[in-house]
Amino acid sequence: MADHSTTDDTRYVGQAVRTIEGRAPIVGAARYTNDFVFPGQLYAHIVRSPHAAARIRRIDSSGALKVSGVVRVLDGAEAAAHLKPITHYIDPAVFGGKSAEVRVMAVDDVWCYGQPVAVVVAEDKRTARFAAQRIQIVYDVLEPVLDAEAATAPDAHIVVPGWDSNIMMQAPFRNGDPDAAFAKAAHVVKTSVDIHRFSTQPIETRCYNAVWEHDIEGVTLYATAQNPHPLRHVLSEVLGMPESKIRVHAPVIGGAFGMKMHGHPEEALMCLLAKLTGRPVKWTETREECLLIGAREQRHHMELALDADGVILGLRDRYFANVGAPSACPGWGMAFLTGLTMPGPYAVRDIDVQMTVVITNKPSWNAARGYGKESTALALELAIEDAARQLGMDAAEIRLKNFIRAEQFPYNSPTGLIYDSGDYSGAVLKAMHAIGYEGWKARQAEGPKDGKYIGIGVAFELTPEGGALPGTMVAGYDSSSVRVAPDGSVRILTGVTTPGTGNPTGIAQIVADELGVTMDAIEVTQGDTTTCPYGFGNYSGRSTIVGGGSAALAAQQVRAKVVTVAAALFDVPEADVELHRGVFSVKGQQGRTLTFKEVCYAAYTGAYSVAHGITLPLEATATFKPSNIRHTPDENGRINPYPSYSNAAYVTVCEVDVETGKTKVLAFAAAHDCGRVINPVLVEGQACGAISFGVGGAMFEAIAFDSSGRQLTRSFMDYVMPRSEDLPAVKMVHHDSPNPVTYMGLKGAGEAGVGGSAAAVVNAINNALIPLGVSLNTLPLSAPNVWGAIQAARKRGQREAAE
Amino acid sequence: MDDLLVQSVLVQWRVNGKLHEIEAMPGMSLLDAVREQLGLTGTHMGCQTGHCGACTVMLDGRIVKSCLTQAATLPRAEIVTIEGLKRADGTLNPVQQAFWDEAGFQCGYCAPGMLLSAMELLAEHPEPTDAQIDTGLAGNLCRCTGYRSLVRAVKAAARKLQDTSGQTPG
Repeated sequence: MADHSTTDDTRYVGQAVRTIEGRAPIVGAARYTNDFVFPGQLYAHIVRSPHAAARIRRIDSSGALKVSGVVRVLDGAEAAAHLKPITHYIDPAVFGGKSAEVRVMAVDDVWCYGQPVAVVVAEDKRTARFAAQRIQIVYDVLEPVLDAEAATAPDAHIVVPGWDSNIMMQAPFRNGDPDAAFAKAAHVVKTSVDIHRFSTQPIETRCYNAVWEHDIEGVTLYATAQNPHPLRHVLSEVLGMPESKIRVHAPVIGGAFGMKMHGHPEEALMCLLAKLTGRPVKWTETREECLLIGAREQRHHMELALDADGVILGLRDRYFANVGAPSACPGWGMAFLTGLTMPGPYAVRDIDVQMTVVITNKPSWNAARGYGKESTALALELAIEDAARQLGMDAAEIRLKNFIRAEQFPYNSPTGLIYDSGDYSGAVLKAMHAIGYEGWKARQAEGPKDGKYIGIGVAFELTPEGGALPGTMVAGYDSSSVRVAPDGSVRILTGVTTPGTGNPTGIAQIVADELGVTMDAIEVTQGDTTTCPYGFGNYSGRSTIVGGGSAALAAQQVRAKVVTVAAALFDVPEADVELHRGVFSVKGQQGRTLTFKEVCYAAYTGAYSVAHGITLPLEATATFKPSNIRHTPDENGRINPYPSYSNAAYVTVCEVDVETGKTKVLAFAAAHDCGRVINPVLVEGQACGAISFGVGGAMFEAIAFDSSGRQLTRSFMDYVMPRSEDLPAVKMVHHDSPNPVTYMGLKGAGEAGVGGSAAAVVNAINNALIPLGVSLNTLPLSAPNVWGAIQAARKRGQREAAE
Repeated sequence: MDDLLVQSVLVQWRVNGKLHEIEAMPGMSLLDAVREQLGLTGTHMGCQTGHCGACTVMLDGRIVKSCLTQAATLPRAEIVTIEGLKRADGTLNPVQQAFWDEAGFQCGYCAPGMLLSAMELLAEHPEPTDAQIDTGLAGNLCRCTGYRSLVRAVKAAARKLQDTSGQTPG
């Protein structure tokens, strides 16, 4: 645990306050989407393609319709007659890419394994599942394309009919004179990094329950949705219905991590089925279906130009993102962010990065925590490790030599980003100190014991947060309302949402301080498009930056109102009124106090007396819009879509059993800069959670396919996520540089941890295997893969010895 | 389903201290029975294959994965779900309290299962070592926390139970 001390105990901000939303789950009272059942409830079961690429010749639903209890069966063509294509969350065409028409179910052509082809609605879920097996579908099976680079070949099967190639988008991220940098380099280090397909897999799968509102001929969608308002907009377009007739309600969410951003076919499909049947229709995703949602499958061909001292002069990267079949979800944008975040924390100016986003017959990506920035960290940190190894430098030394220095902020990156603040060297040194770097180096120098080799890995990660993409519903601002009732109780309504991260508590801490009330006076409402102010929901580590920032501004406005009323009641100037934790007092006059409740009641009932000077009710809505986001392109056409640049350093020690390939993390330290900390326990919880994503991704988790494109990974038997024993205790130190433009210096704490910890683990394992001549940059470093690499190196060694 | 030959089984369970009679259909899991027949939605579906533990309940004093347990195979059973953990006066039991106080969980979806596993662990090992906690929670996946806060919560719960000695969890 980090030091939880705080400098000011008269404020809630900075304290490890217990979460206000935390009691409900442990008494079984939290209501998640799947817990809602409405009168007349129907259940949907989706029939999915067993083929990766096919043409649908015929669908015969008559068998299903004969089953008693079946209410409706729909295939893709019929759905397409009712629904427009799904609006893209981030339309590739806005960024110069190709935009496919994505339907809720396949029409004629199947693009990937698991694509919805038909749906059955029945009185209960067992009947729906049973009847679904009686739908007969005849496919003409085609040869799929599965590999990104192979899919760019001229004779490759074209996934989307009518496209000239499978390349969805290509973009350069180029600055300076990289060719000159490479020409003068003393060393050029080439490293290919193969990042595998892995996924967020929240324990709560997706669920949508659409209720037809007969009175207004509208629909209410109960949804595992991170972004209810933007989803309402998409539904409005797809259903052809005004937004005012649609309500999206996202109740308690059981983890999201990007997966519950919308664009999924089931969202609009359930709304349509509710409309067609006039009854509530629910669909709950199975784990097998959830595992179809991929992310991060990306191959980098990195080249670093270095001088004789290990200073990086230039960087080249050709990378190919295999984003699977076209989707309206925002997953593909991760690949763009990977390039935009190059060269991360390093002061390299001459870069030549080329992104190629490729459509294949694999299931689609959706957003995943890290949102492409974790891939930047993996590609960079593995390449730099390779360089350190080839130049014979210490892993920490080469990084410290190349970081942007603390005095260089704000720093204009070669891709146009404006990094707000940081002290990268300081963070690495803190993490090294926390883990006892020299001690572990000494232990490593003693050599392997019982076939177990020890390695130390260092990595750094830059995670721009709070992103705003022009022309999309990925907005940089958000709004909150603060409403005070006549009894002095407070309701905060926010446009941001929580997937379970604790942001309602952080926002309540901020409001309690700004308004001058106690925490127990506050309730927080989120995720309902009918009651909450228009907002963009949860992504990009933004919820406390803009949710907390806007709630603070609203609270300040309400505070001004109640202070005016209290001053009238006390009959003193407003400047003499003090308000702290629900008690008004007068400066210099002991004993003259009023409760918050007394003043609020006086305000509501004294519109023509004590509250004459204020606008009632005691409510305010405010927006926080970070000032440093820049969407007007500079002379090079570059924008700065991020207000905040969280960052973190990681140092790990791993042990490798060379006889089995099994690896174990022995020690782990992180130095984390998320700006001002509102609640240290919640921030640490975020960081540790992200680290478990990184460690799991680097060591265990992978989604595999057979050669015909059928997904082999179908349950948690195959998709191995870390359990308690797999994760080390994390020595967490904070190394905070406040963001100068956000409320109180917030930077966002949600994403840092995935890429940096994954890279640190990979570097540690490769570091351990230096004596065996192994360098493995094809992820994951699971036991079979590590063992295979050790065997290959041994055979290579024996061959070379024989020659 | 229209199959008239499907025979349901009448089962009698005491769930959180209250007697229920349920018509259990073949193939109905204990998870579905608890959630859909009894409306106790604090027990969660996570994977349906027994790997994630979100559906953990206590059956005749031992934790089970309710998604893998067939309702019709339990003619008589004593079942405790997350809804049954509070003390008689409505306050939280020490393990619940520790999970909340220590920010043991985040989204809360795995928390009911984790709590029941922690309670069984603490009944067997009142002063658990780190390794015993890892083993005790091995049947439950958490995607939010990285588990360290859960380990901290279990240790805090152990201390609370020691302080109120003589009390068994629950």
